[in-house]
Amino acid sequence: MATPASVHAHAPQGFIRKYIFSLDHKVIGIQYFFLALTAVFVGMFLSLLMRIHLIWPTASLPLVGTIQPETYLSLLTMHGTIMVFFVLTTAPQGGFGNYFLPIQIGAPDMAFPVLNMLSFWTTFVGFVVIICAFFVTGGAPLHGWTGYAPLSALPSAGPGEQLGADLWITSIAIFCIASLLGALNFLTTTLDMRAKGMTMMRMPLTCWSWFITAILGLLAFGVLLSAGILLLMDRNLGTSFYVPLVVVNGQVMGHKGGSPLLWQHLFWFFGHPEVYIAILPGMGVTSQILSTFSRKPIFGYRAMVYAMLSIGFFGFMVWGHHMFMSGMSPYSAFAFSILTMCIGVPSAIKTFNWLGTMYKGRIRFSTPMLYAIGFVSLFVSGGLSGPFLAQPVLDIQLHDTYFVVGHFHLIMGVAAIFGIFAATYYWFPKMFGRMMNETWGKLHFFLTLAGTYAIFMPMHYLGMAGQTRRYSQFTEVAYQTKLLPLQTFMTYAAFITIAAQLIFVINLFWSMFKGPKASDNPWESTTLEWTTSTPPPHDNFGGVTPVVHHGPYEYGVPGAAKDYVMQTDPATSTAH
Amino acid sequence: MSNATLEHGAVEHGMPGAYEAPLFGAYSKKVGMWLFLASDSLTFGALLFAFSYNRIYTAWPTPFHAASIANATIMTACLLSSSLTMVMAVFAAQRGDRAWTRNWLLATMVFGTAFIVLHGMEWTKLIGEGLTIPGFPKPASAAAGELADVSKNVPQFPATFFGLTAMHMLHVTIGVIYLGVVAFRKWFLPVLGVLWIAGYFLIPSDNVFHYGVHALGLGLLVAAIILFLKPKDYDAHDVEVAGLYWHFVDLVWMFIFPLVYLMSTRIS
Amino acid sequence: MHDVAKHDDSKAQYFWVWGALLVLTAVEVVLGYKQIFEPVRMLEALLVLSVIKSALIIGYFMHLKFETAIMRWLLVTAVVGCFIIMYFFFFPDAGRILNLGVH
Repeated sequence: MATPASVHAHAPQGFIRKYIFSLDHKVIGIQYFFLALTAVFVGMFLSLLMRIHLIWPTASLPLVGTIQPETYLSLLTMHGTIMVFFVLTTAPQGGFGNYFLPIQIGAPDMAFPVLNMLSFWTTFVGFVVIICAFFVTGGAPLHGWTGYAPLSALPSAGPGEQLGADLWITSIAIFCIASLLGALNFLTTTLDMRAKGMTMMRMPLTCWSWFITAILGLLAFGVLLSAGILLLMDRNLGTSFYVPLVVVNGQVMGHKGGSPLLWQHLFWFFGHPEVYIAILPGMGVTSQILSTFSRKPIFGYRAMVYAMLSIGFFGFMVWGHHMFMSGMSPYSAFAFSILTMCIGVPSAIKTFNWLGTMYKGRIRFSTPMLYAIGFVSLFVSGGLSGPFLAQPVLDIQLHDTYFVVGHFHLIMGVAAIFGIFAATYYWFPKMFGRMMNETWGKLHFFLTLAGTYAIFMPMHYLGMAGQTRRYSQFTEVAYQTKLLPLQTFMTYAAFITIAAQLIFVINLFWSMFKGPKASDNPWESTTLEWTTSTPPPHDNFGGVTPVVHHGPYEYGVPGAAKDYVMQTDPATSTAH
Repeated sequence: MSNATLEHGAVEHGMPGAYEAPLFGAYSKKVGMWLFLASDSLTFGALLFAFSYNRIYTAWPTPFHAASIANATIMTACLLSSSLTMVMAVFAAQRGDRAWTRNWLLATMVFGTAFIVLHGMEWTKLIGEGLTIPGFPKPASAAAGELADVSKNVPQFPATFFGLTAMHMLHVTIGVIYLGVVAFRKWFLPVLGVLWIAGYFLIPSDNVFHYGVHALGLGLLVAAIILFLKPKDYDAHDVEVAGLYWHFVDLVWMFIFPLVYLMSTRIS
Repeated sequence: MHDVAKHDDSKAQYFWVWGALLVLTAVEVVLGYKQIFEPVRMLEALLVLSVIKSALIIGYFMHLKFETAIMRWLLVTAVVGCFIIMYFFFFPDAGRILNLGVH
């Protein structure tokens, strides 16, 4: 149900209305950011437990004790779900999108501030519900973040499949509602509230990426919502949408006639756009930062926009490449394979444009820039394995191995996280009014880059060597033990990488209170958020509505007084 | 100073010069509602695909006798007429005629409620005759009969029937609450509360609506939160946006009715 | 200010649309009863009628006919496009399961 749109006129007074139940998109953006920060540490802790269990399966750990094989599956499920939904979807779109979309297009707030607040608090409830799944009888679910039926549909299928799985689905459904309300808010804001002169083709690429992400979210989350409702019905009302005649522990279940493939279709119809929901904002931020710190206009602005649009468009037609193993029609598999490889074209366009942007630029290697370059690096090395997996023939070999784990962690996991880091280092001065420490930032970058490559690159080799995903104990399988040294190496790399994230957190909180004061435009950037004060006032521009005369990336303009032209500079300063 | 900007920014785009023309040429609320409906139509689309996916490979029963079809036809007519009264409400709101806006909205709500009640009775009758899914409370009469056989042999039939129509009924219920809030604002909340509690105590516990009535409680909560956050008078735009939602609910039924009912007609 | 009442539409046309929708519903019910067509034809006929009805509702009641062209086209193509994609990929599988005999 949509709420009426209008904006609170006065800056709210009182702690609760100002910081907790705030309608200000900036406060809500920061709330999303901290929610994602909490979630990422929960998710990272779970992955640490998994890595430890893989090489020391019988070790007794403080607090958690010895991890059982089924607990390993719970960890895997919750790691995936929390990371995909509450980090990769929440931070770039809900966090930075919420904070900077209105500012970058020159609007005083989102189109529907009340709805915006409700979106955040709905997301928050979703997060609380999924965390509760750890503490109920049976513990967290076992079915992976994809929740494949019939495992996810049968409460008797495993210890975590009781109340934990219900909470999991409920949390996902709540998240769906929050995200689609958020998405329509983003879309309406972008369509309706651009300042004078801010035509669609003058929007920064970040805004374009949030806009396209919102389109994907709007069309995809509704489908997951109904898939989740049907799954809840299967679990609690005994229907058989996804469950065929099935026997668990020698007992015939009361279901018959359903199709597990239906769940896979509905899930991946959402799931593949979700991959782009995670990565597109990272692309936008990378474009913005590469252009700013290379002091050059973005190479091929229009090509970038069209590439993102076509990635979004194709994103809806390729979900079947997750299902080559499922017994899907081979004719569909063929079509999905071709369409999947088509996505390589816009992705390559983007990569070459990023390289073209940096080529012969006067590059300033600040921390945001390093992370943006890291994003491009990970995008390439993770993306190149994509065309392999797009071949049904190869995919059948590689699908349930570590190859896929390495692939999606590099491109969707770590690359998107690098986008988030780049955005954090880049916008931190605007959000909190202080600069982050560069030395610690660079140390964090190099440790994280080296660490993530050290964790995820060997996975490709493991996969090709035949090491399967989702197995909890390789120590017990004779032919797999040969590969254990590599797993051990990855676990040590994970220790170092996770330790490096503590540098980030310390840097973040230390700089928030003790960092040097930031000027209004510390990076000499051109977009609208850098024209207002730091941090921005309640209505973003202090009562004036900016008027835009320039494109977003006018750096190194010949004949201009400075090497950059703000979007709001008068039109006469350059031939345009 | 800033107040004028803010008020202007999201509510109207009448002030020339400060903003680019909105791309869709409509005020924000309407665009937002259209986008929500696009998303919601995919939610229903996915349900209908799930229905068809099951329908396509099962020997599908045709158990609906004339009484059910007649009932469903009356329900359809109710919804269509409610759409007409909704259009009238929008016209009245645009004239600035508050009394008639409220009257027409009330008429729409009456038609909507009639739809829900008729549908609820239909459900109760079908469940009583044995068309049911395992999770529903079962009255004693549901044990045997033709429809009980259908439930046993083709569980997909009751599952898709109840799944689709429940989702639609939920949307109609939300719609009635939405219209009630637009028409009567906070004075609608006590009515909702009374209906919720009365429904819970008056509907016997072997009837599924004994539990389903809690949707009203949830609606009460959400409506109260929204009214608390934005206590305002609803204008013609709000009525029009509410109308969009209402017509959409009508639209969805135009697909559910033929697919679920008419394709399963029993000719005796 | 955007004003929907500015269109030269009288109230009468909404009554006509309402009448048309009722008549189409009646036609559907009659089709359901008479069963002139075999089931697949019948499904097609019903769906065509439903699409016409929904077009009437969207176009007139929901006023999409009077919105800007870009809004009309973007909304309709996005949603219809998704349905078409789903249709082309879902049903080969559903039918294939039938042929494989997995029930």
